[in-house]
Amino acid sequence: MSVTTMPLDQFVNDLKQMLTEASTAFDGAQTTDDLDAARIEFLGAKKGRLKAIQKSLGSIDKADKPAAGKELNATKNAINAAFESAKERLAGGASGPSNDPNFDPTLPGQRPLIGNLHPITQTINELKDIMGRLGFTHAEGPEIEDDYHNFKALNIPTSHPARDPLDNFYLHTAQAQADSIGKELHNDNPLLLRSQTSTVQIRVMETTKPPVRIFSLGRVYRPDTPDWSHYPMFHQMEGLMVDENVTLADLKTVLKLFAQSYLGGDVPIRIRPSFFPFTEPSVEADYFWDGKWVEFGGAGIVDPNVLSAVGYDPEAVTGFAFGLGVERLCMIRHQITDIRYLFTNDVRFLRQF
Amino acid sequence: MIVSWEWLSQYVDLNMSHDELVDRLTMSGLNHEGTDEVGSDKAIDLEVTSNRPDCLGHIGVAREVAVLFELPLSVPDPQPPVCDRKTADFCSVEINSPHCYRYTARLIHGAKVGPSPDWLKNRLAALKCESINNVVDVTNYVMFECGQPLHAFDREKIQDGKIIVRNANDGEQFAAIDHSTYKLDADMCVVADPSGAVAIGGVMGGLDSEISDSTTEILVEAAYFNLLSVRKTARQLSLFSPSSFRFERDIDSWQLDWASRRCCELILETAGGVLLDGVVDVGDKPVDPPTVTLRLSQLKRVLGIEIPADLPAKILKDLGNEVKQSTGESVTVVAPSWRKDLTREIDLVEEVGRVYGFDKVPDNAAVPMAASYKQKSDRVVEKVRRVLTAAGFNEALTPSLVPQKWSDAISPWTDQPAVHSSQPMAGVVEKASQRQLGIVNCARRSLIPSLLEAKRINQARSNPDIHLFETAQVYLPVADEAIPHQPVVLAAVTDGDFASLKGALEAVLADIDPASSFEIGPCEVDLFDNSRRATLLINGKTVGLLGEISDSGKKSFGLRSQTTVAEVQLSALEDLAVLIPQHVDQSPFPPMSRDFNFVVENAVHWADLESTVRNSGGELVESIQYLDTFRDAEKDGADKKRLLLNVQLRSASATLTAEQAEEVCQKIIKGCATNHSAVLLG
Repeated sequence: MSVTTMPLDQFVNDLKQMLTEASTAFDGAQTTDDLDAARIEFLGAKKGRLKAIQKSLGSIDKADKPAAGKELNATKNAINAAFESAKERLAGGASGPSNDPNFDPTLPGQRPLIGNLHPITQTINELKDIMGRLGFTHAEGPEIEDDYHNFKALNIPTSHPARDPLDNFYLHTAQAQADSIGKELHNDNPLLLRSQTSTVQIRVMETTKPPVRIFSLGRVYRPDTPDWSHYPMFHQMEGLMVDENVTLADLKTVLKLFAQSYLGGDVPIRIRPSFFPFTEPSVEADYFWDGKWVEFGGAGIVDPNVLSAVGYDPEAVTGFAFGLGVERLCMIRHQITDIRYLFTNDVRFLRQF
Repeated sequence: MIVSWEWLSQYVDLNMSHDELVDRLTMSGLNHEGTDEVGSDKAIDLEVTSNRPDCLGHIGVAREVAVLFELPLSVPDPQPPVCDRKTADFCSVEINSPHCYRYTARLIHGAKVGPSPDWLKNRLAALKCESINNVVDVTNYVMFECGQPLHAFDREKIQDGKIIVRNANDGEQFAAIDHSTYKLDADMCVVADPSGAVAIGGVMGGLDSEISDSTTEILVEAAYFNLLSVRKTARQLSLFSPSSFRFERDIDSWQLDWASRRCCELILETAGGVLLDGVVDVGDKPVDPPTVTLRLSQLKRVLGIEIPADLPAKILKDLGNEVKQSTGESVTVVAPSWRKDLTREIDLVEEVGRVYGFDKVPDNAAVPMAASYKQKSDRVVEKVRRVLTAAGFNEALTPSLVPQKWSDAISPWTDQPAVHSSQPMAGVVEKASQRQLGIVNCARRSLIPSLLEAKRINQARSNPDIHLFETAQVYLPVADEAIPHQPVVLAAVTDGDFASLKGALEAVLADIDPASSFEIGPCEVDLFDNSRRATLLINGKTVGLLGEISDSGKKSFGLRSQTTVAEVQLSALEDLAVLIPQHVDQSPFPPMSRDFNFVVENAVHWADLESTVRNSGGELVESIQYLDTFRDAEKDGADKKRLLLNVQLRSASATLTAEQAEEVCQKIIKGCATNHSAVLLG
């Protein structure tokens, strides 16, 4: 076997040329199959070209072998790097054009179906949060009330138009029931669906000594014929604070804080005289918004007759109350144009909020 | 109440601008609702609260202006000349009805009815009041001047000049000025002569006795009718007039005579004739207004501001109170007769405050801080809402009154009949359904029918994915209790099946109390499919019900597709609520998972098998997951089923060995064989 020696420069040139070709082949691979074929051609363990050149290392002059080995290693590393880079590119992790024509990233995501809270509930939650921050605790009461709590204790006399049977949902139990309990119906204190949340004030004060700082919130009922702004069922919120030395200035301050919290920013408010049987002085509160005064709700100093009705001493304590209609706030907030939408429960309507 | 700028100027010098006037009026209780230009005049619309009927006349509003701007007020003092004929010789009055407190009559002879003079027409035109003739216009004018309604009769049409105020007869027919005939009842009050009614008291005059061009003798009525009677009558007959509006808010009996004289004075001025001497005045004399003392210290106590000590007496005096005594500590007044709302100290506090100006009340008082608490019930409802919205349910709000048909369809919580309202809730069901459903007047005992209707509406609109829930009170009458029990319940409706809704409820319960689970009991609700319904219990106590709506139920609620509903008492969940969940150490060791495929009798319930698996597997059983049920009658027999489940095992103290896992599996297999004759399939 004749032994011919290979000059170092030829060995190095072979390495350089192979590196160039390998890089071209790897970079040009469009699929993982292409790349794999190129890998076998250059890096194949048995018949790869790198392997072939490696074998020719034996024919290098002994003195040149260290230099040739160094070159070989450098080339091997470079080819490996080119391969890894191409592999990464095809796996999609690297920058560069897409290689999977079957994947469409603009297809819609798989959204979970998520429900929504009713806009009235969302408004109520906002009001509850604000009242809580102002130190008022939520109190609840029954929606079916008696005349006493809905009217009499609230200083609403029998002659007051608010007590007109046509303006209230007075209730009666079925006759069968009246018979079974063996009693006449209580006509002097009939039941009705509460026409205002002030009933809760009375129930709380009846069982709590001052100081009282509560708010009530919930459904109230008046037999209005539905139109865009009326519905026979709606929601009210009412705040009550009773203590020694509670004044109209405290009321105005709380209303101002409330308006600021609800609307955000420094909102001017004003109070002007009004009339409600259960407060005196009674006021209407307005806030200044979008260049005009907007009615906010009714308020006032708790009438001494109301304090007396619940066993408080009007000479010892004073209090204020304020109330507002939730639907109005909700409709302004979400630009809802018809109150009836709120109670139709069309899911397309509900999903907007 | 519309007031005319020019008309007001008759009583007070309006030396301020229009805007200044309406701003001050708004800020003192007469809210400005708008102003229209009428010729050279301005018609100013003011909202008059029901406690201030005195401001339903120009003089009342003028008085407010005079007080607010500290201007003199001049009110006419009508002293019309009289002739020597006596009123009492030509007419008489008798009150036989409790609805009329007082009735006064004056007579004018020789009047000439005709068109009104321009000044009178213009005044009424500003108020959008049609001009009829000089006599009728004067009665309207005086009403809008002082708030007292008046009526003028053609005296010759009143038989024998005899006025009898009495209750109407049931079914009595009455032909009114508006050319309509009204059917009256015994609760209504009429002004009559011996032959029949000539007016409905305080509401409307009669056609026969109205002032016509040929009228020469005029009877001027100034009366005081009961406010409730007038309101009821006007409402029942749908006859609302400026007159009934004022009677409904109560009038000032002291003012009757002034109004009567003023009316006669102006009739003489515009229609001529002579006024007869004296007045026929029958009924209750007006009551003396009360004396009220205001302690000045109360102003600060209620309003929270200092008001200069000399102001309260001045304000009250300007408002027409007679100041009996004024010291540095208090002011004692007799309220004016037209201010029946001033009877107590607090009323005077309000008067002084509103005139002084609520704008002077600060809005930066040092309100003390206070802790507030979130109620447990609110926290539980929040959890319910959070879980159900995350599960794809939308929150619904439905009316609390339902038609009888819905009320009868399901009542899970009580056998007592529903409470009914005397007024139906109109317009809350779709028009198309209205006739079939009838009136809406039952206080609902369940939310389920309302949600079925909500689903139907969505179905009719082809909306996909209808999953709704509502939390609201239901009204459950209780024998021997005056007020029904009114617990808050959660109800849900879904397009999904029994298992899907059960799962949603389980998720709700798990969020409220992870340690609780629903037990299943028998359910006999007819609305539900008889094989797919259940009562839900916790710790043996019924808390809810769940079921797929039966075919007949779907039909009766107009539903086409699968519908499953549930209702749960929230108070029951409240009792269980773990508001602050506590941490438990989680095992750091890997779990082992084993599947089982048991053949059991069809009658074996999952809950029982699961319980056996848990108990026989012991403490290494971390979780048991139901996978599926198969039936293969050929291989297993007709009454058998295969229950597939996965059991996850984990130890808190070490990595499980295969031997340990095998031991647990054998226990489970043995337990299931013993308790349920379960056979494990390879």
